[in-house]
Amino acid sequence: MSTTATLPTLKKTAAELALAERFNAVLASLPGGEGARTARRAAMAAFSSQGLPHRRIEEWKYTDLRSLIKTAAAMAATPVGNASSAEVAVEAATFVFVDGKLTSAPAKLPTGVTVETLAKSLAAKSDALSLARSKGIDAGAASILALNTAFASDGASIRIADAARPEQPIHLLFVSTGITSVRNRIAAGARSEATIIETHLNATGDTRQEIALCEVAVGDDAVLHHVSRVETAAGAVYLGHVIAEIGKASIYRPFQLSIADGLVRQQHWVTFNGEAGSFDFAAATLARGSGHGDTTMTINHVAPGCTSRELFKTVLDDHARAIFQGKVIVDKDAQKTDGKQMARALMLSPDTEFDSKPELEIYADDVACGHGSTCMELDPDLVFYCRSRGIPEAEARALLIDSFIGEAIDKVEAPDLRRAMSGVAEAWLRQTRRSAS
Amino acid sequence: MLEIKDLHVKLADEDRVILDGLTLSVPKGEVHAIMGPNGSGKSTLAYVLAGRPGYEVTGGDILWNGESLLDMGPDERAAAGVFLAFQYPMEIPGVAGITFLRTAVNAVAKKRGTKELTTPEFMKLIKAKGAELNIDVEMLKRPVNVGFSGGEKKRSEILQMALLQPSLCVLDETDSGLDIDALKVVSDGVNALRSKDRAMLVITHYQRLLDYIVPDRVHVLAHGRIQKSGPKELALELEKSGYADFKNKAA
Repeated sequence: MSTTATLPTLKKTAAELALAERFNAVLASLPGGEGARTARRAAMAAFSSQGLPHRRIEEWKYTDLRSLIKTAAAMAATPVGNASSAEVAVEAATFVFVDGKLTSAPAKLPTGVTVETLAKSLAAKSDALSLARSKGIDAGAASILALNTAFASDGASIRIADAARPEQPIHLLFVSTGITSVRNRIAAGARSEATIIETHLNATGDTRQEIALCEVAVGDDAVLHHVSRVETAAGAVYLGHVIAEIGKASIYRPFQLSIADGLVRQQHWVTFNGEAGSFDFAAATLARGSGHGDTTMTINHVAPGCTSRELFKTVLDDHARAIFQGKVIVDKDAQKTDGKQMARALMLSPDTEFDSKPELEIYADDVACGHGSTCMELDPDLVFYCRSRGIPEAEARALLIDSFIGEAIDKVEAPDLRRAMSGVAEAWLRQTRRSAS
Repeated sequence: MLEIKDLHVKLADEDRVILDGLTLSVPKGEVHAIMGPNGSGKSTLAYVLAGRPGYEVTGGDILWNGESLLDMGPDERAAAGVFLAFQYPMEIPGVAGITFLRTAVNAVAKKRGTKELTTPEFMKLIKAKGAELNIDVEMLKRPVNVGFSGGEKKRSEILQMALLQPSLCVLDETDSGLDIDALKVVSDGVNALRSKDRAMLVITHYQRLLDYIVPDRVHVLAHGRIQKSGPKELALELEKSGYADFKNKAA
């Protein structure tokens, strides 16, 4: 299963060649001085030698970017989209990035929060482009992350002070058209509790190719809620990465809503740095048309007594496909690890596909780890039961689908945020039903 | 009035005939019991009345107030007043009981052209009806029937019936899985709904339920048709003699 082995050299694809061309065209306009440019060139060279990830890399078995990505979109020279921070109906301090550039920042930040943008920090230090961590990252993801480094234009580095409890969530809203590469950091101080919202949308059309990275560090005894929403229309590509480190007795609770009518790949690497940490992950993926939604995660239990939970739910229609790959590694010292994952797909059409691949690598002897996976159609008996109580068929189906995806959305703790996420999912489900009827 | 005329039903995906010329009438205001041995077609009759997919009506008709039910979907039948209390009520994970009930009550109100209820009106209604059936509203905040005991499921069916105000109630083996106390609560709930505008068809294997829900007439169903009809005393006779006569008759 080693992915660090030398892979055979493949002929460059049209998309890879186009990416190199796009890079040369925009390099001078990207933020940062000569130091940053050197780092970008090195990253682009690394990408070029590896190329787009393909199915022979185990982690990319079901998401062969080499065949899925045909072209490289132009990078918007100046922001063309417009966005309103009302996209998520939640009170939050919102930073808006249009086509990878900051266009609006909140007048005032909640108590205990500081934010620095990548474009600003690059002006001062070129090492702002280096990764905090590269261990355990597969060759395919490393290649995409190199591309992220090469093209990175902006993003937010959020710092929550020790013991701070910001009264409002921080919201990072990205609206993009062409190639966009953004890079965020969240550093939650010890004993803090905060909510960060990320929203990634299309501006216009379906030509977006967005590569996002978020590095997360949760300090000891802290709680971090990290709610992300990604929408892609057919033709759009979103490649998201989260590299998270969880401190002693801390709780990291990511929720991820993906509308994968285009291509969405979300990859997570989670490491417990201290004892008794908790990772509580829930995801809802909705895909139709020839949509493709992949969530791949590696959870490293290196410290004892930590808990990890992954709940992945997906609703698929038409020819759409979803993937869940969850690898849990329990080191020999990580005794009393408690890890559970569950992946469930609801298939509304017989032409959909769900690939679920749990992997447990356990080196400790006193652990409780488990996984489950199901895929099913809407239960006709339940539809009948609802209809026998007078609920029309379309409404009965809607009720059952909403409840299926609701199990994941219910994991969002803040009521207003939960309602906002439900609203997005329901709007999508209504569209699906319209097209079906 | 419910009129079932020479009804022939087979399973949709196999050639097994289940109802074979069943004829039966239940006037409004009356409670009729259907008794019969296992496999006689009792549950099939209940499902066909409610419009469950998987059955094919190959002959005959079911008229409710002069109108054929056969062309109606299950939800249209519900709006027309048909209610089936299931032998095995289904669990719906993720849908809170209250949400389910409210969706159902308002869907039926919409189709019947009556007023949809506001949330406070609805809450008041289920609190009142729930108290009658010994159902705590807190329980209805949980997903529909999930984790309910047999008795709780049956009480929840009768609550649904009380809320939807049907004019034709079909109770399929409502006594199965009930202890004597639960049987009493459920029967009281059913009896409270007896009225001159309502017809009821009570399907049961055992006579016991009919001590609590006393029928106007009893029909014996075997081999897919009514073999014998009589007054409520017929149930007591069956209790003594069993179904052996009817099993032999058509064999």
